[in-house]
Amino acid sequence: MHLHVNGRSREVHPASDASLLTVLRDELQLTGTKEGCDRGECGACTVLVDGRPVYACLTLAVAVDDATIVTVEGLGSNAAPHPVQAAFAALDAAQCGFCTPGQVVSACALLARNAAPTEAEIRDAMSGNLCRCGTYPKIIAAIQAAARGEFGALPVAGSAR
Amino acid sequence: MAAKKKGKRFITTTVEVEGRVESKIVEVPAFSPVPWGADASLDIVGQRLPRVDSLEKATGRARYTADIKRPGMVWAALVRAHAPHGVVTIDATAARAMPGVLDVITAADVAGVLASAAAKLFDRDVRYSGQPVAAVCAETAEQARVAARAVRVNVEAAPFAVTFEASMADGAPLVRGAGSNYALNSPLVESRGDIAAGLAKAQVTVSLTVRTPCALHSAMEPHGAVAEWEGDRLVVWESTQGIFRVRSNLAAAFKLPHTRVRVICDHMGGGFGAKNAAGPHTYTAALFAKRLQLPVRCIVDREGEQLDTGNRPASEQRITLGARRDGRLTAIKCEAMVPLGIMGWEGGPAQIYHELYSCPNVHTTETFALVNASAMQAFRAPGFVEGAFGLERAMDVLATKLRMDPVALRVRNFAKKDEAKARPWSGNGLLRCYEQGALRFGWPSHGDKPGSRSTPSGGSKAHGAADAQGRNTRRGVGMAAQVWGTGGGPPAYALVRLNSDGTATVLTGTQDLGTGARTVFAQVAAEALGMTMAQVRCVIGDTERLPYTGNSWGSMTTPSVAPAVRMAAEDARTQLFEAAAEMLEVDASTLSSSGGVIRSTSSEKTMTFSDVSRKVGEVCIIGRGSRGPNPQKTGIFSFGAQFAEVEVDVDTGVVRVLRITAAHDCGRVLNPTLAESQLEGGILQGVGYALFEERIMDTRLGMPMNPTLHDYKVPTMADSPRIDAFCVAGADPVANHVGARGLAEPPIIPTAPAIANAVANALGAEPLQIPLTPWRVLALGLQST
Repeated sequence: MHLHVNGRSREVHPASDASLLTVLRDELQLTGTKEGCDRGECGACTVLVDGRPVYACLTLAVAVDDATIVTVEGLGSNAAPHPVQAAFAALDAAQCGFCTPGQVVSACALLARNAAPTEAEIRDAMSGNLCRCGTYPKIIAAIQAAARGEFGALPVAGSAR
Repeated sequence: MAAKKKGKRFITTTVEVEGRVESKIVEVPAFSPVPWGADASLDIVGQRLPRVDSLEKATGRARYTADIKRPGMVWAALVRAHAPHGVVTIDATAARAMPGVLDVITAADVAGVLASAAAKLFDRDVRYSGQPVAAVCAETAEQARVAARAVRVNVEAAPFAVTFEASMADGAPLVRGAGSNYALNSPLVESRGDIAAGLAKAQVTVSLTVRTPCALHSAMEPHGAVAEWEGDRLVVWESTQGIFRVRSNLAAAFKLPHTRVRVICDHMGGGFGAKNAAGPHTYTAALFAKRLQLPVRCIVDREGEQLDTGNRPASEQRITLGARRDGRLTAIKCEAMVPLGIMGWEGGPAQIYHELYSCPNVHTTETFALVNASAMQAFRAPGFVEGAFGLERAMDVLATKLRMDPVALRVRNFAKKDEAKARPWSGNGLLRCYEQGALRFGWPSHGDKPGSRSTPSGGSKAHGAADAQGRNTRRGVGMAAQVWGTGGGPPAYALVRLNSDGTATVLTGTQDLGTGARTVFAQVAAEALGMTMAQVRCVIGDTERLPYTGNSWGSMTTPSVAPAVRMAAEDARTQLFEAAAEMLEVDASTLSSSGGVIRSTSSEKTMTFSDVSRKVGEVCIIGRGSRGPNPQKTGIFSFGAQFAEVEVDVDTGVVRVLRITAAHDCGRVLNPTLAESQLEGGILQGVGYALFEERIMDTRLGMPMNPTLHDYKVPTMADSPRIDAFCVAGADPVANHVGARGLAEPPIIPTAPAIANAVANALGAEPLQIPLTPWRVLALGLQST
């Protein structure tokens, strides 16, 4: 089967019970997407599937044949970060950083469907991504700053290529 | 800059870690930099600089242990017994026959292979539910997980005790099968003055009994290791708070010299006290790697993480406070009961009762019971979080009874010295925390009348009128204070290597749990060298290539390692200045540096670090720094006060924390942004402890019922209050020459009692048990109406 991952077409051979998370991490070496619980409770594995944020650990790989996947690596790089990534970095929205990729992907998905979210809308949209270090106040600030364009214009449709 | 010291190179000193005092022989550094006092002129230390690795984290490029993939690597999974007590028999026949399975190990395979440190791995005697009893290794992670579930585990059930009462009852089953159910030294009595006389002198007394829950660390990154043997050398990537401790554990287990064990931890996803040593997953990965001669990854799954990687044990505390009418404490008494788990150390609730307030008569008794539940591990300010809930609730009840403002009561009982050990503080900014915290919070000045602590938005005593959404709510405010030993200490070492292009590399074998250690040590080195941040890089997390530092526990990484880094940087700069003096034809003592430029007071000429480095070429300038001993007979502590406003829905019992103001004192703040992040993190864990977090134990089955992140509730963004967290200005040059004390653990300590005190203010009833789940709050509300 094929996946369109971060703008590249990839041929993958998942077992019938393999999750999208396993394929991304173990087969495609896209280790930015993290496994925190493997049961849809923490959000560390959030990726965009055809523009929608999903928990990769609860998504069967064979169920997303030919889908367009964007992981945290596909949003931006150290050299050319996505505005949301730049905002997270500048405003200290990552402590240990383990949940951060999932937070960044969820934030991008939010801003793609709502370019100017209220704080209440941010809290609602982001509450499926747990952080144990307690970066929530800084994440809220980073999303607000990114929405205001302080870290560059947001790509159209949240860069879900 | 450097004052030379003469005398013995090694001396005996005391070091405090999480309330425990250890006597150590330590090295006296060759020189001691002039302390950075509060008025020191610093360019980089104290600045709001971004974390050096924040972009890597935001782009998913930061590599964690589970991201390490070695050529030919295979996967291991642990098998656990789900019964509290009994002898296990294992049948792995079916598992061995499953696709991809390479190996299975049980107790028989471990005995004689692992020496002392891991002797209990896969013990046949199961003593708590969740105990690992075997492990499976397979070609893929999925195959290992599936095969682990196919291992048949039978436990010949034995009587068990999972509660304090059951463990301490007459005729209770022996939790460990032998010995006693009392943990070592129980009951532990600590006393000063004469408690009976103190109570007799009291004009007002309050007595209450509080209960705190068993809480789970729940770091987002589970415990994990990747192990690989390179010939007779063992290399382990581990998510850990202490790479050198893991090295010692592995060296002991496999009978290897330290030269043949290398432990690496680059990025790690949180620990909070649960990742201070090698664990079953570490030994399992290393053992399979040895048997199969393949690299092995073993990551604990979420259920295992919540079942068996540590916890803050529950407590019951029976408290009596005695005071004069003016609020001066005459007696503090606490009897604490802690179901410790199958093992653990005694980081109990009592110590804060001795340290936070001035009081001539203090008496505490702690009884630690072994129970058939997984072992406790230090969890962010162990003991003090539990103790603060009891002590600070009691102080609030006392304030109400005295008709005294809770802040005024605390100010009246401010301890001018460490009365527990009769020694001065190195510094203590607690009064400024009370003052500045109250001001920024808008603490009501008329709070000396009972029930008058309402905010403009709601009446605390008035029976709540329905709000705009039709909810029947009441608001309340509360506060609490905190003390915690944060001196750090030796041994900790650093090297600063000047490169031929004018950059500098800081080498120190510490680890960054998400605290920002990498960033602040680069700041300290850049400051001391007179270079820019861009010229300095800090390398951490490798036992083979970096000098020793201790575990990142006890809020001690910054106060332990920063002085060593500073000294190493000054040593390197001194050496480079000697070269620059030769080139500039001036005396080295006339030189100073900042922003990467070296200037002389006796010459117009300047040179950059790269000018000098290029000219000296590949001359290897390495500065060496070590952490000197702490000042003796001095208490080095961090302090803080937190203020909370809550809204309680009296119909549903739901408590919402609206806002928290936190004022803390930790001496010099190396980076205010990172300090605020630490404070916010501690507060949010405190919110969880106050409102949601509780390991639920089925006392009939002896099994935890909520080992998931769905059923064990940590705060989400929706639960996050508005937080105004800050550190009061200052520095503590008595503590160490950088002037910084620790800050990691303090902010979790006062949060839960501040919230509970606010709920008490809202409802006019006294919450005595956390977490304040809706049903507990509803029960309180019924009492109050």
